[in-house]
Amino acid sequence: MPNRIDVGEKLLKVRDLHGWYGESHVLHGMNLDVGKGEVVTLLGRNGAGKSTTLKAIMGMLAKRSGSVRLRDSETISMRSDNIAHLGVAYCPEDRGIFASLSAAENLMLPPTLRKGGMSIDDIYSLFPNLRERHNAPGTKLSGGEQQMLAIARILRTGSDFLLLDEPTEGLAPVIVQQIEEALKRLRATGYTIILVEQNYRFASMIADLHYIVENGRVVDRVENHSLDGKLDVLKKYLSV
Amino acid sequence: MSFADIHVSYLLSQLLVGLINGAFYAMLSLGLAIIFGLLNIINMVHGAQYMMGAFIAYLLLTLLGIGYWPALVLVPLIVAGLAMALERFVLKRISHLDHLYGLLLTLGLTLLIEGAFRQGFGSTGHPYQIPALLRGALRFGTVVLPVYRAWIIVASIGVCAATWYVIERTRLGSYLRAAKENAPMVQAFGVNVPRMINLTYGFGAGLAALTGVFAAPIYQVSPQMGSDLIIVVFAVVVIGGLGSISGAIMSGFALGLIEGLTKIFYPEASNTIIFLIMMLVLLVRPAGIFGSIATIAVGHSINVATQRSRELDRAAFLKIAIPIFVVACAAPFFVFPVFLMETLCFALFACAFNLLVGYAGLLSFGHAAFFGGGAYITAYAIQALGLPPEIGILLGVAAASLVGLVFGWVSIRRQGIYFAMTTLALAQMIYFIALQAPFTGGEDGIQHVARGKLFGIIDLNNTMALYFVVLTICGAGFLLFYRIIHSPFGQILKAIRENEPRTVSLGFNVNRYKLLAFVLSAALAGLAGSTKLIVFQIATLTDVHWSMSGQVVLMTLLGGLGTITGPLVGAFLVVALENYLAPFGSWVSIIQGAVFVVCVLSFRRGIVGEIGAAFKSLGTRDRRKNKIVPQRQRPADTNLR
Repeated sequence: MPNRIDVGEKLLKVRDLHGWYGESHVLHGMNLDVGKGEVVTLLGRNGAGKSTTLKAIMGMLAKRSGSVRLRDSETISMRSDNIAHLGVAYCPEDRGIFASLSAAENLMLPPTLRKGGMSIDDIYSLFPNLRERHNAPGTKLSGGEQQMLAIARILRTGSDFLLLDEPTEGLAPVIVQQIEEALKRLRATGYTIILVEQNYRFASMIADLHYIVENGRVVDRVENHSLDGKLDVLKKYLSV
Repeated sequence: MSFADIHVSYLLSQLLVGLINGAFYAMLSLGLAIIFGLLNIINMVHGAQYMMGAFIAYLLLTLLGIGYWPALVLVPLIVAGLAMALERFVLKRISHLDHLYGLLLTLGLTLLIEGAFRQGFGSTGHPYQIPALLRGALRFGTVVLPVYRAWIIVASIGVCAATWYVIERTRLGSYLRAAKENAPMVQAFGVNVPRMINLTYGFGAGLAALTGVFAAPIYQVSPQMGSDLIIVVFAVVVIGGLGSISGAIMSGFALGLIEGLTKIFYPEASNTIIFLIMMLVLLVRPAGIFGSIATIAVGHSINVATQRSRELDRAAFLKIAIPIFVVACAAPFFVFPVFLMETLCFALFACAFNLLVGYAGLLSFGHAAFFGGGAYITAYAIQALGLPPEIGILLGVAAASLVGLVFGWVSIRRQGIYFAMTTLALAQMIYFIALQAPFTGGEDGIQHVARGKLFGIIDLNNTMALYFVVLTICGAGFLLFYRIIHSPFGQILKAIRENEPRTVSLGFNVNRYKLLAFVLSAALAGLAGSTKLIVFQIATLTDVHWSMSGQVVLMTLLGGLGTITGPLVGAFLVVALENYLAPFGSWVSIIQGAVFVVCVLSFRRGIVGEIGAAFKSLGTRDRRKNKIVPQRQRPADTNLR
């Protein structure tokens, strides 16, 4: 495998990012970098601020401060729809499938933002299950199918930077494997991905770099090839 | 022409009227449903937007000579433009708040707009000529179909079908449906959701305005043409369920037809039939005919109190109550006693309302039914039955409680805004009964009711005696209110307000508590109405009109929802405002509307609430100065939801 870490310039630079839900301060100065074409995971316990970081990058957190530079644009005060136009797409933890729309409508919903999105055929070859279910209402799909749909629909838009929040949560091992394969293919195609995970074994299969998040900060940065040597440290961070 | 022919043509012409009304109901409830779907606002101002549509068409014609056909395009665009500005600068500011505030804000806007039109153009109706192309009638045998009415039916079906198609079958429609479920997600896909919301509101309002232009040649164009219609439309929406576009359209047409049929077979009930159907539907299928269980779950209970309800222990209560009582005893020697009595009655009314909204979190928009109902029954008992005043008042309270029991039983099946709309529609039934029943005196009401002697001893024609009787009654009402909210029962009400599912899970039969709160509130409102009758010796349609319900909401909101003294303060201010502005006609309504809007936008805790909050933060600062670690204050808004 080529060393992908020094492939490209930095796509995302997050500096001293703070974030709030109402009155409660959740992110306490996140710092992280993601290079073009990199797959980066955020690892950490429940409530560490991993999902919130994705939301803050996507502009979905109403109150945030600090700096988020995405492709040379400062996005800290931008609206999420404008951030999306910079070629970043978000797949939430709850998958965000719309119940009142059919699977096909869900798939076609996100508008095309840039050139170079996947064609429907490419998407169906990546997730064959979706082809059969395209007329079913979005939430009648199984959990795994919903997860695939949630990833699939943002591939159409031409975004090449994906924020995926726990795509394997609560899924059967065989489905997890399917998603792993899909993510590997995306990685090979050149997508940049931030993956929020609790399962570091899954993360280690696809990621180049891991950021350990605790109390709304990045407390450690572990490159994937040195992960095995740092298992003890990692366990300390992740155990309850 | 045989008798049967007349009968058939009469039948068909009434059905046609029903179909026309149905077309208007369908278009208006369609607009409401679309706006509710995306903005989560019950657009009370929809009726005013409909009225503006008709009025602007009328003004274009009379002032600028712009006729019907251009108006059909221009007027919806003008109203949509105004509505979009309203959304952008006003409604948007409350979009993060509970549905309730949207309802209150748009109610205020309604009062403001209608008042302004009344002030500017008077309340008489203006005729609008049918355009030349659509005059005349089509004849099918003995049946005559006026061309204009045929046009309305065809055009409105076309508009409804086109709207349905766009929403259910196009890409734009899929954005709308998706944003209704999860707007932040759609926005994160790169869709400019704020603009979409803005355009949607404009579209809904434009639809109302178009309905207004359609209606202008059929009805008289007048400032109040929208407000009564919109209440019927609310009932239609409760029946159909706000969830579905096709449901809104179909129930609109169907109910119009049913109304038309009722006019043929039992004309007395034609005004109330839709409300009766609404009651039936709520009893059998609380989610509405086209609604699903999911839509019930969406309509979560309203939590209005933007602050912890200010509870007073007994000592603190006495510290406030005794000075108020002393002032109240001395006041009639300095201030016009009738004004004071009016304030007291309305304060009790607001207090009754506050029991429900401030402590149980139920926003009733139909309290005029209990207030006015109590007044009517007391008036009838005293004048027609010759009963003494104390029995009259008791009967009034009993009647209000009974009505409250029935209304409560029906309306607590729905929550949140549906509850508000249901109570509004139910109360409108009482209004129509008061208008039509043989004993209520129709437009005149019951006048010159003798005050008589209380217990045969106290002559109520003596103003001072009357004042102290009223003070005693209202004081007793306040004490009862205080007792209720400090009882275990009151604690459970507050628990329901804060978190209904949790209260259920603790084993409480929530509906029983809600119903009892509803009945108690209705009884107190009835007491206020009956007492007001004794003071003013007159029961009129104003007492049962929905604007009376709106007024009590205003008093409570202005004084402070969920505060003990707030309703008193609010009632005093509103009554004073009315008395001083009475010579200026519609300015009362305009100013009340403006106060509503200002309260909702920047003053949600009301006067008493804001003062309390200011004292609290002052207290916190002092404690900080004294280096005592302050207990973390619960921020004002965290107990929402």
